[in-house]
Amino acid sequence: MRSLIRAAWRSFEMSTRLRVVSPWAYLNWLVFPVIFAAIGLFVLTSSGYARVAYGVLGGGVIGFWSVTYLDGGNSIQEERWNGTLEQIFAVPTPLVVIVIGKILGSLLLGLLAFIPTVGLAYFGFHAVLPALDPLRFAVSLGVLSFSFFIIAVALTPLFAISRSAFTVLNGLELGVYGLCGFMFPVSQLPQWLQPISYALSPTWATRALYASATPSASGDIAGWWLATIGLSALYLVVSVALYRFVEVRARVSGELALA
Amino acid sequence: MPSDPPFRHAIEVADLRKVYTTTRGTFRRAKVENVALAGIDLAIAPGELFGLLGPNGAGKTTTVKVLTTLLLPTSGTARVLGHDVVSATGDVRRRIGFVFGGERGLYWRLSGYDNLRYFADLYRIPPQVSKRRIGELLEVLGLAGREHDKVEGYSRGMKQRLHLARGLLNDPDVLFLDEPTIGLDPVGARDLRVLIRGLADHGKTIFLTTHYMFEADAICDRVAVIKKGRIVAEGTPSSIKQLVGDIGVVEFEVDTISQEDIERLQGLDTVSSVVVTERELALVVTIHCAQPAEVMTQLGRLLDGIAFRRVSAREATLEDAYVELIGEAS
Repeated sequence: MRSLIRAAWRSFEMSTRLRVVSPWAYLNWLVFPVIFAAIGLFVLTSSGYARVAYGVLGGGVIGFWSVTYLDGGNSIQEERWNGTLEQIFAVPTPLVVIVIGKILGSLLLGLLAFIPTVGLAYFGFHAVLPALDPLRFAVSLGVLSFSFFIIAVALTPLFAISRSAFTVLNGLELGVYGLCGFMFPVSQLPQWLQPISYALSPTWATRALYASATPSASGDIAGWWLATIGLSALYLVVSVALYRFVEVRARVSGELALA
Repeated sequence: MPSDPPFRHAIEVADLRKVYTTTRGTFRRAKVENVALAGIDLAIAPGELFGLLGPNGAGKTTTVKVLTTLLLPTSGTARVLGHDVVSATGDVRRRIGFVFGGERGLYWRLSGYDNLRYFADLYRIPPQVSKRRIGELLEVLGLAGREHDKVEGYSRGMKQRLHLARGLLNDPDVLFLDEPTIGLDPVGARDLRVLIRGLADHGKTIFLTTHYMFEADAICDRVAVIKKGRIVAEGTPSSIKQLVGDIGVVEFEVDTISQEDIERLQGLDTVSSVVVTERELALVVTIHCAQPAEVMTQLGRLLDGIAFRRVSAREATLEDAYVELIGEAS
């Protein structure tokens, strides 16, 4: 067990160090979230306090999600380009342990996205979160992090089985922005789309996060936390089968190598 | 550590087949099957240095990838140290090392030491053991003093030695080397061959693929020649050469030679193949034939007007035998 923890830690350390020297990582946690935040703040700060949390936090949540989810997949693609994907696949450490280390690195880097976006809101738009409940906010952010972490761990191995999986999974990244209510409430979506939103754990965590920073917000925040954790647990169960599938599929197709 | 099941051969392969399924076409897609291994059998003794020789696309790398658990065979069986590569992947992975040729396969933006420490942890080697082992490998492979430099600043030879160090981190009983000297300068390649031979002399089983015949001849205990997914010959380098024992080689250098001239040479009864290669500013014509002396006497008549720089006859090398075997098998 200790050797597995050490392997996960080293995977975390290595991927973090590789990201520090990667210009692409800075785009993901710094540039793109600020662009989204700026648009959100332009639109939402004029509509009163009820929506200001979307403006102040939306860009950060988008950046957090993008880095956590996509960076894990990107790192698998980078391993393929480096020619190291086969090597990490054929070590005695299970792939999931290596992926967990990588995603933990992404998660911490993703949290950095809140710094420029909240900074932009405060200094650029004088937008603040006047009704922030620190405890509920902290727990909600923890629950949101957990939900992102589980989705990223579950889906990252799909990047390993196919060179073209990246294109499809990239689309999912964008879909989640809208479906999970990062920049606007899910109730604004067409009715037929809303069941999909409710099946996605970040929807509930985001709702709890924004509610904990919105004046006179109503709703069962603890229930939303539980919904997030329950759905995440379900994803975790599915991901066990997914990892088994990926192990077999990658060894059948031989797509771990670039050519 | 779990014990190994009883085994006679370090590597044992029986009727191994691997078929890749791909698609062809853009709108009307059709499935296409590509047979990479068409049923091969191999048995490699513990401590043996075994070479698998063959042209590009013959199935060498596919064989290595099946044996290193990176690919699932379509049918047949493969065992390493008695462990089935399909059902006992964990046991196989703990006991083997593998090195693929070329510069890729390393984290260039990190140091050589960081690369090794990372893989030591992924191989679940205790820290005190890995620290000592990394130090030893850096020393033996001539990387000591440069281990904290970024890999991107390493020469190709250094990268290849770092690859080898990574492959040896877990002190494997069986080491797979897929074209390890590809792209290396002659001195670097020779040093690496000496290292590989030394590892075999210390009891490691080594499975080597290469297209350099002199390399296989120099260091391998036994070789097999693979062509289009089938083993076409197997034995010691000397026994492979004897397979074409009645074949001799006539070689000459010229400035230029026409296609008609080559066809005239190929038309001789005793000639089995004619190969033209460029070497520096000359063309080297290599003729595999049954009676070299007779062919030499006919050269002047057949190639009237051509200025020969050098003409010689020699016994067949492993490379000549390989050319014959690959030609026959096509």
